[in-house]
Amino acid sequence: MAELRLTMTKEARTVLTDLLRLVAPAAARVSVNRASIPSADAEVAGFWTETLSSQAAEEARLLAVAFASAKGDPAVIVLPNEAQAQAFLRALSAVRLALRDLVFADITDARLESAEDLDDDALPTEQRHALACYACFGLLQQSLIAQLCPEAFD
Amino acid sequence: MAKPKLKPEIKTESLVSAAPRWNVVVLNDPINYQAYVVMAFMSVLRIAAPEAKRLMRAVHAEGRATVWTGGRERAEMLSLELQQWHLNSLLEQDG
Repeated sequence: MAELRLTMTKEARTVLTDLLRLVAPAAARVSVNRASIPSADAEVAGFWTETLSSQAAEEARLLAVAFASAKGDPAVIVLPNEAQAQAFLRALSAVRLALRDLVFADITDARLESAEDLDDDALPTEQRHALACYACFGLLQQSLIAQLCPEAFD
Repeated sequence: MAKPKLKPEIKTESLVSAAPRWNVVVLNDPINYQAYVVMAFMSVLRIAAPEAKRLMRAVHAEGRATVWTGGRERAEMLSLELQQWHLNSLLEQDG
């Protein structure tokens, strides 16, 4: 598979990069904390935790490098192969999970799934900002899936 | 003297205890897109898109679904791989 490209405006790239600096370290912790790790066997549990932790660290690094190297206007993230693209896709999922847990844990699942809540004036500015970024990360995911595996869509 | 005809009675019995089977269960979550979950199932469970979509819809409709059943070691591996895709997966003993 040829390289994959994700394109966004320069402003979007700046805003998302700033948010990632804040959220990426926490995203690693969230993804391990959320996981249901079997506890009966200490060796298995240790391997499990170590695997998720090292993956989370790698995802944070991947996101930081990808957004930092997306120059120009529009800014373009280039993913050289399918494995990198899948890793990037998972990393975006980790960030969305972290935002959900850390920034808008008080918003119900149903509200989160409805798009109109993304621009709710009643929400604090920080939450609205985070929700907009959350939606942008989701759009990047959708764009990647459309390139990687179009049959995944109905 | 005739020897007593003793025919020992021998009974054989096979006791086969089947190894316990484990379910890999995935819980619904509101964060990951449906297409993302389909792609995760295709990648981890090595299944085609129609089957992955069927499982995704089951998770979405029921709140949870068993996506694989079998031996513990493989179940652990699949559950971990699904968690690496940031899906809510867990292991449950079958039956």
